[in-house]
Amino acid sequence: MAQTAPAVCGNDDNFQAMIKVLRDVNEPVPVRLAALQALQAASFAVLQFESCRGDYIAALRSIATDADPEIRQRALGLLARENDGFAQQKLLEGLQDPTKALVPPEKALQLLSYDVHAESYPVARMIVANPPNDEAKQEALRLLGADASAQPLFERVLRNKDETKEVRQIAASALHAIAPKALQTHARAMLLDPKEYDDIQATSLTALTQFGDAAKVEKDDKLMERIGSFKKAESSKLKQGARAFFAKINM
Amino acid sequence: MPHFPVTNGLSEAEFAAWIDKLGVEAAGRAELLALLREDHSVYDQRGATAVVRMRGWILLALARHSLTDEALLFVLEELDTGRDPYLVAASALALRSYPAPAAAFAPFVMRALNNIRYHDEPVNFNAYGEYATAATEVTPVRELLATLRWLGPTARAVLPELEALRANRASFSRKVLVEFDRTIMAMTQGSAPDVGLRDACCSLPNFFGNALSWGRESRRGCEPVESILFEDQDGGSVTFSEFFCRQPCIVVFFYTRCDNPQKCSLTIAKLARIQGLLAERGLSDQIRTAAITYDPSFDGADRIRGYGANRGVRFGGGHRMLRPTGGIDALRAHFKLGVNFVESLVNRHRIEVYLLDAAGAIARSYERIHWDEQEIVAQAGALLREDDLPVTSRTRATPTRRAASSRGLPIAGTLASLGFAFFPKCPFCWAAYLSVFGIAGLEQIPYLPWLKPLFVVLMLLNVFSVWVRSRTTRRATALVVVLAGALAIALSRIVPDLAQLGAWLGVGLTLTGSFLSAMQGARPAASFFLPRAAAPARE
Repeated sequence: MAQTAPAVCGNDDNFQAMIKVLRDVNEPVPVRLAALQALQAASFAVLQFESCRGDYIAALRSIATDADPEIRQRALGLLARENDGFAQQKLLEGLQDPTKALVPPEKALQLLSYDVHAESYPVARMIVANPPNDEAKQEALRLLGADASAQPLFERVLRNKDETKEVRQIAASALHAIAPKALQTHARAMLLDPKEYDDIQATSLTALTQFGDAAKVEKDDKLMERIGSFKKAESSKLKQGARAFFAKINM
Repeated sequence: MPHFPVTNGLSEAEFAAWIDKLGVEAAGRAELLALLREDHSVYDQRGATAVVRMRGWILLALARHSLTDEALLFVLEELDTGRDPYLVAASALALRSYPAPAAAFAPFVMRALNNIRYHDEPVNFNAYGEYATAATEVTPVRELLATLRWLGPTARAVLPELEALRANRASFSRKVLVEFDRTIMAMTQGSAPDVGLRDACCSLPNFFGNALSWGRESRRGCEPVESILFEDQDGGSVTFSEFFCRQPCIVVFFYTRCDNPQKCSLTIAKLARIQGLLAERGLSDQIRTAAITYDPSFDGADRIRGYGANRGVRFGGGHRMLRPTGGIDALRAHFKLGVNFVESLVNRHRIEVYLLDAAGAIARSYERIHWDEQEIVAQAGALLREDDLPVTSRTRATPTRRAASSRGLPIAGTLASLGFAFFPKCPFCWAAYLSVFGIAGLEQIPYLPWLKPLFVVLMLLNVFSVWVRSRTTRRATALVVVLAGALAIALSRIVPDLAQLGAWLGVGLTLTGSFLSAMQGARPAASFFLPRAAAPARE
């Protein structure tokens, strides 16, 4: 099947045979996955695949609820990239009611994040507040990174030293996207905070170096002195960050 | 028929049940039509795919009866710009329920065919919210072909385009190719319409109108939004009144996260083309252009600048891309924007462009169907010429040169009334006046009898000017007071016993009325002598 991939849509009989294998729950999973891979590869040639697309999408929907978790996840992933309403509906249902979940929550959130117009912000907020695991919380925050109204949430997470490094870095990245000025303010405060973790200070320094107002920062004696002190810091990330900062402002 | 509280609190299942009820009764069509407006509360806080399911179900319900002219606009809009297979298929089906085929529909169907061919997939019309999980006979391409068959010979103008599409055999399955052949046959058989095909294909029926226009006297003022502050693409700040109440302006709405290339992206590219046309005609300094984002919390200055620049927009003092920093709800209400949101993000919007006059009032709008750049520029040019006409009616006072001059008229008229009230009746009176003025050294003023009719004319002019301004401000008090003043002055000249009292009373009333007229601002709503903002004319 892998060999026939490029030509799979050129011959209607071949294509229908491939779809039949994919849908057939009695076929071994590796065989069905190979059929799926062949069809997926063929779908890259959008123009040649035009006549086959409808049957392909219908087949993906039918296997999205398959008994095999890998087949389910692959099918939902392919559909989510098409902003498919059926897939979004199933993924949201699974997040709202874990007994209906077709994929793990972190995967569902990741797939929903492909479409900003999906109705996924409320459920993502719910997961941030009550996460089933760390990965799910991280994915929920990544998803909310496109939600401009989530600025207060990200500011809170960023400044919370009890949060994990990964979660706080996601918050910094999201703030840069939706409220860059707010991130600069927090970056300064975190750099001046002697109790702040090195990783977060390194992230703050990168934000300041890459996106800060150099002229304004240069006039900030307190901040310049603090960044200067990082040249002798134990953390290699901070040392590297300080070097990059001074190189950027030619000092 | 009982009215159902259709709001965003409704579950999709409840919504579908209500639509089914409305669909079976002809009386329900008006409500179905109202539900197709994007700003309807039922779409508030729904995801984009939920909105698709809901609108599709409404279109299918409308198709159960004969499609009305009012509903036609929504159907053609979907064919013109739609990208969702379900909605396009439902629209194609709905169009076939229109009482008679019209050649003007063919280009819309053809455009939809070209738009949707790479997104063709099976759809399920059997039950609300169902998705096809097996190959079915219902796909948007097949529905569109069925609609072309329904149009038959009336669609012959698009036959070459359809045949060219059919020639690309690899693009369609065998079953679809068979349908292409059937369609081509249906279009070639039978007699063609009497009218010239080319003309018929390119003009919409008379009843159809995506353009609305308001006469000068019926335009709504922009008081509710004039203080809204915008940030432009360079981070500069400007209020609505500062930008829009100076010169005629062409305004479009967009947002950078719109995923339909037929909508926001194309709208901004067309705005750039409009700017080019304005420059060619030397109108860039007289007609402004603005693009306002629906999504101000995400669309920062950098984003809107990049979005515009990538589509050829030219920036300048009178040509800006704007994000409201507040008052988005007031802006939505003022323009009656066809948009709704899930959280801060747009879930559905229509295409809309507005032409504002120099006072910032909406003079014309185009909605849903793609607009023609040449026509927009021509209509904006007409607004410019309108601005040169005498101001007989304005919906609101604006800080423009013309508005300021209308305030000056009552002052001149008041002086005339004073002149008429105290004009000496005869040469003896004149002598008496001169004896008094003589103390002040004005004894050289001669008696001029022709001044009397001049003062009468000027006094009447004052009454007229106050009337004009009262229509502008929608306030009648000043007019009533000035009229009473004029009456008192006239009586003082006719009835000798009232000469003193009438003159002083008349002058007092005239002064008060004129002062009121010059100082009063515009009233937001219409008053007793002005009709409320009239319904726009659909063209």
